[in-house]
Parts: sequence; C-alpha cells; structure tokens
Amino acid sequence: MPHALLSARGLTKSYGRLRPHLVLREVSFSVAPGALLGIVGENGAGKSTLLKILAGELRPNAGHVEMDGALGYCPQEVILNPALTVDQHLDYFRAAYGITDLRRANELVERLSFTRYRSALVSTLSGGTKQKLNLTLALMHNPDILLLDEPYQGFDWETYLRFWDLAAELRNRGRSVVVISHLLFDQRRFDALYQLEDGSLQPMPIEGK
Amino acid sequence: MMSDPYRTALRYALREQTRNRLAIGLLVIFVPLWYFLLGTIIPADPLPFRFRATGAFIQVNGQDLTFLTAGFNALTLIIGFMFFASTRSGARFDHRLVLSGYSRPVLILAKLSALVVAAASIALYASLVLLVFWRPESFALVWLGYFGAALIYGGLGLLLGVLVSSELAGFFFIIMLSLMDTFFQNPYGNPAANKPFLAWFPSYGPVQLAVAGGFTHVFPTREMLVSLAWFAGFALLGLAIFWRRTRAWNTHGHASVSAASPAAAEAPSSM
Repeated sequence: MPHALLSARGLTKSYGRLRPHLVLREVSFSVAPGALLGIVGENGAGKSTLLKILAGELRPNAGHVEMDGALGYCPQEVILNPALTVDQHLDYFRAAYGITDLRRANELVERLSFTRYRSALVSTLSGGTKQKLNLTLALMHNPDILLLDEPYQGFDWETYLRFWDLAAELRNRGRSVVVISHLLFDQRRFDALYQLEDGSLQPMPIEGK
Repeated sequence: MMSDPYRTALRYALREQTRNRLAIGLLVIFVPLWYFLLGTIIPADPLPFRFRATGAFIQVNGQDLTFLTAGFNALTLIIGFMFFASTRSGARFDHRLVLSGYSRPVLILAKLSALVVAAASIALYASLVLLVFWRPESFALVWLGYFGAALIYGGLGLLLGVLVSSELAGFFFIIMLSLMDTFFQNPYGNPAANKPFLAWFPSYGPVQLAVAGGFTHVFPTREMLVSLAWFAGFALLGLAIFWRRTRAWNTHGHASVSAASPAAAEAPSSM
C-alpha cells in the first residue's frame, strides 16, 4: 500500500481560555496518492477549523499534520485582490509558488473557460468567474495534495462537470484530493467519505457503492 | 538584492495604490483646493514661529506658513487613508500568498518599499502644487518635510490597517489625528502655539523641516531623525503585527514524512 501524502493525527482544537469550546476532537485521517476523499459536515461541525489547520493557517492544541509534497489550497471564500487583473493574480502566485512558467495556469484558465477575462480587473468579474480564478490559483503549481473547501459553490452546471473532470484527472495522476463540503452530491465520485459531526470524524458509507 | 518575488510584490503593491481612484481624485482635487482655501482665509501677517533647529523664534508670513500646513494636512490624510485601506482589505490575500509559499520578509520589504515610493511621489506632487501658490526658499527641504510626514502617516495607516477592525474607526482616527496634529503646529489662531509639548506630535519634525525649507537655509538634522523615528515606530509595529498574523504554523510544501508512518495503514485505498 502506498504511503499517505497527507495524514492528520489526533487533531484537537478548542477556542476560548476560560470556558474552552472543543471544536475538533482527535481527528485522524489520511489520504493515499490517487485518492479522492470527501469530508461532509453541517455548519458548525468544525469543517473550517479542520481545513485551516490542514492548510497551516491555524495551530491545533494537539495532534499533527504530515504532508509529503506540495499543497494546493482552495478556500471557500474567494480570496483575491480586487485591484489586480486575472493575469496579475497568476503572475503573483507564480512568484509565491516559485514556479517558472504558467503552462498549467494557462491550461486551467482555458479549461474553465475564462480566457476572455484574463486582463479584466477582479473587481469587475462575476461571482462564478472569481470562483474559477480562486480554484486556478490553488491548482496552477501542480500540487500533490489538494484541499478544496466547498469548491463548486457558485459554479454553473458546465463548470461543475469540468471541475469533476479535473478532480478525476488529478486523482488518476496519483495526486491526493480532499473535498470538504456541507453537502456532497455525486458521492460515487469519491473513494472514501467521512462525516464530521460535533468535532469528531467518522467514516461513512458511500451511496451507490 | 532585487529578487523576482520582491519586484513582483512591489509592482503589485504599487499597482494597488494607483488603482485607488478615490485617493487619486483627492490628490488631484483636494490638495490644490486645500492650499487655495486655507491660503485665502489666512492673512499675510507676520507670525512668530518657534524654530527648534536654532532655538529662536523666527518671523514668518502667516499665509505662507498656512500653505505649508495645509499641504501637510491634505497629504497626511490621503496617504494615511491609502495605506489603511489597502492593508485592511489585503490582509487575507497576503495571508493566502504566504500560505502559498511567499516569503514573509520579502512581502514585508516590498510593502515598506511601496510605502517609501508612494510617500516620495505624493510629497513631490504636493510640493509642486505648492509652487503655484508660493515659492519657498528651498524646494528640496519642503519636499523632505512633506516626505517625512507622508512616511509617518503611511506607516500609521499600515499600523491601523492591521490593528483596527472597523473601517470607520480607522478613517476617523486618521482624520482626527491629522487635523489636530497639523493645526497645532501652525501658531496662527492657535492657543497651543509654539508650546514645547507640540514636539511630541508626529508632524512636529516634518513641519520643522518644511519651515526650514520655506523660510531659512538651515538643515534641522535632529528634526529629520525625529521624523524617521515616528515612521519607523508606526511601520515596524504594523509590520510586526502583520508578521504575526500571516504565520503559517506548519511549513508545508515539501514537509517530509517518515515511510514508517502509521498513517499508511489507515489510508483509504485508491480503488
């Protein structure tokens, strides 16, 4: 069995000092190369906290995360700079990832069909196009591990299907993909599903498998 | 060293400022208007001004001095507002860049450089517009005074941008401080005129520099150092908070993992 690209062990997180509120209770899971993992949970179940810990934004009280490879993180909220254009975003993140060319980024822009907005300011883009750019920024450096938070919010049907094509492709290339959402349609597309409930993570059966 | 990430971050930090239409509009309209309005209200009477470089009072033309402080008022408001707005709205984006691998020291250095470039340009613009109304003795020293004030208020904007959660509170603070600060430094109709405590206000050093440029040929070194200290204080505090906020606790990217990790045993199969 191949070793996991991403593994989380005993992640525990609480907020507040006087009366700590436990948000995550010893969450453990791992993702092998070429696996598509879904984590589903209702609002307030601790999804965002888990994601922020995995992405390195937040430090857990206990437990640790191990990653073998580059991480691509697509936050739920589009985090972009309204004063810059699409192309300028690609250039900025090229410098962040330390990559030399934009071949993959160009391909993603084309496949998600927003080529004609490349020189448009982000402040003038529609919500859906911003979401596409948000996703492109997470994928443009060919990450080994992908963390996607509600990635298809705001996508139209066609983009939604293209998103799944991309996810399947990454998986077939041996990448690890983690999708976190409050609702998971198309459960058959996943290799494994977990439910986050009240801060605890439990495996759940996949419908239709 | 001019590394590529440094140049990229500097370019976009400056681009962001030039896309701030409100700030550009204020520069174009508010700066000349403010010179004109305050200059016409204040009569050209002689006014005693305590010039600290020599420790003596100098007699200055009240109208000319008011041109100078009007410039200070306008440019400190505008640059404070520019850097407050951009720091505040860009906080999460900057964090995303750092999480994606952008070096924090490089990003911070670029922000600081953008502030210096913006301050120098706005100071130059304000000094050039001043020439329409009045010819100071030394244009360079007036510019230096304006540059100092622009640095200080840009640094303040940066600090408030990471510190203050409410947009309104930040703007209000900048407006009040700039108004009080620049009003107190001008002795015209001012009960606190020339009082020693004025030396503790941020625009004290820059105003002394500009007055030196407006009416004398003295170079007040100490006042220039005081100005730089204010700038360094505001900017470094702001950037230290920025440094803390943009931490990435796990250095991902190519984090190593031992092959014997128990994780593999639980890994969901890839089919």
